[in-house]
Amino acid sequence: MTESFESLRALLSGAGYAFVEPPIVHDARVFVELAGEDLRRRLFLTNATDGTELALRPDYTIPVCLAHLASGEARRRADYAYLGPVFRQRNGESGEFLQAGVECLGRTDRAAADADVLALALAAVELLGVKRPNVRIGDSALFAAVLDALDLDGPWRRRLGRTFGDPARLRWLIARASNGTEPAAAMDRKAARRKAQDLLSASGLATIGSRTAEEIADRVIEKSALAAGIGARARVALEKFLAVEGPPVRALKAMRELARKQDLDIGAALDRFEKRIGSFDKRGVDTGKLTFAADFGRRLDYYTGFVFEVHDPKRHDGRQIVGGGRYDRLIALIGHGQAIPAVGFAIWLDRLGGKP
Amino acid sequence: MTAPFILAIPSKGRLMEDSRAAFAKAGLEIVQAGNARSYRGSIAGIADVEIAFLSAPEIAREIGAGAVHAGVTGRDQVEESVADWKEKADFTQPLGFGRCDVVVAVPEAWIDVSAMEDLDDVAADFRPRHGRRLTVATKYINLTRRFFAGHGIADYRIVESLGATEGAPASGAADLIVDITTTGATLRDNGLKILDDGVILRSEAHFVTSLASGWTPAQVGALRSVIGAFGTKAAATRPLFGRLARKKTG
Repeated sequence: MTESFESLRALLSGAGYAFVEPPIVHDARVFVELAGEDLRRRLFLTNATDGTELALRPDYTIPVCLAHLASGEARRRADYAYLGPVFRQRNGESGEFLQAGVECLGRTDRAAADADVLALALAAVELLGVKRPNVRIGDSALFAAVLDALDLDGPWRRRLGRTFGDPARLRWLIARASNGTEPAAAMDRKAARRKAQDLLSASGLATIGSRTAEEIADRVIEKSALAAGIGARARVALEKFLAVEGPPVRALKAMRELARKQDLDIGAALDRFEKRIGSFDKRGVDTGKLTFAADFGRRLDYYTGFVFEVHDPKRHDGRQIVGGGRYDRLIALIGHGQAIPAVGFAIWLDRLGGKP
Repeated sequence: MTAPFILAIPSKGRLMEDSRAAFAKAGLEIVQAGNARSYRGSIAGIADVEIAFLSAPEIAREIGAGAVHAGVTGRDQVEESVADWKEKADFTQPLGFGRCDVVVAVPEAWIDVSAMEDLDDVAADFRPRHGRRLTVATKYINLTRRFFAGHGIADYRIVESLGATEGAPASGAADLIVDITTTGATLRDNGLKILDDGVILRSEAHFVTSLASGWTPAQVGALRSVIGAFGTKAAATRPLFGRLARKKTG
């Protein structure tokens, strides 16, 4: 394995990525704030003597982006590579395991950057000896475009948007949304605000930093939109869209057809998808061997569009050996405030026989 | 000397009194070794039973670790502190005391929130508005994570509470809580309400058998004598004894 690690390093360096080794120990808050309680369960945590909660890095992406932010102008172009241990609590598996990968930051030619990163991931997988890998790709921007085109009301739009990436739950939610919910008791904004304020005062609850009467009243009004539901047309369009799966060129054709029949204005998002597929071709990726799935995405809100995962057909546990994608919102969320183009991948070396 | 059957009994508080009463009613007399401060004891008339007096959370953990053969503790304690409790613990006999519900409670002033899906909306909307995640104060970290994940809620953070959880929203330590309640009165007093579908678990004290410990035939025999005294129906315990028989002794 050590030999193939050396050639993997050579491959990533040769593609212009500079190897970095960010700290292993971090303030835990950054991981928990970004990935939520569900990741926290898998973190290795300890406390500093001042009480700060510390975590061993569960991946490289966040530490690499933190180091990038700490060392200069956030928007600058930078290509980073890494190979080393990451730490997650895993049942029946070692909590310390190796990952390698790249983070490509600041490239505004997104379609070409997506293609470069995917092509590099596939070259790495080939170098590591995986024969005929299965590659799945997805694009949450397409789903977002469908939601926009359907002109859905606020709360349903957001519920559906954030459930993307969990196909079973999303289908359940769409079925539920088509009829709407029980209508809430009618209350105007002013009355709702007064009632919430009275209850807050009566119970002496601290509202500094928590929900205010204003915000509660906003949502009381919003709830009436939930009762109306999204209707049958939206349900049919969403279900048909999410069922699209196949090689990207064929999937694109099916989505254009669907857009025409369902009268959905998603042309701009489909054009971007087409441009990306064109970049894959130019980069020498055999797009006939990729599988696009319209319902494939990640439930982390910093992923903004293109995602991919690579599977080894010889593994039967269904786990990916490479996970990658575009996360333009990550650097904004960890403190810069502005979206910055970012795309990368991580190889699970432990699933390819690599040991720390 | 043969290895004894180790039975853990709550060492303090209401749970200890109720456990002793339940054992007495079943005709089992718990004899404390030495003085009343001792942490070891036995049952009069049943040989090779050793009683260990522990706190209810410790009993749950020791059952999960297989360090005791059985014990009296709350279902909430076992489901919270034993990661794969379905494999490690058998709820052999409910005991009718220590009843409580583990619930999700939010400020009454949240008039827009009556169910978990409302909470999901609030959680998702919270970070953009407040620049931090919605926080949940609780002692029941694992139960909370499982329940929230089951409702598709991801945008929140747990603040571990070490006592008086119901005061967390008032003090600003957290936005909402997951805690135990019997009548709901304490929650109401603190301006909190339980969500319609927010009951995570209805708990009571159980006689819990460890599936993680080693079992010799003599220990299985002692278990039979003890739960026989509680009048647990033989048909109800057949699967348990089947599982114990399939385990390696030791």
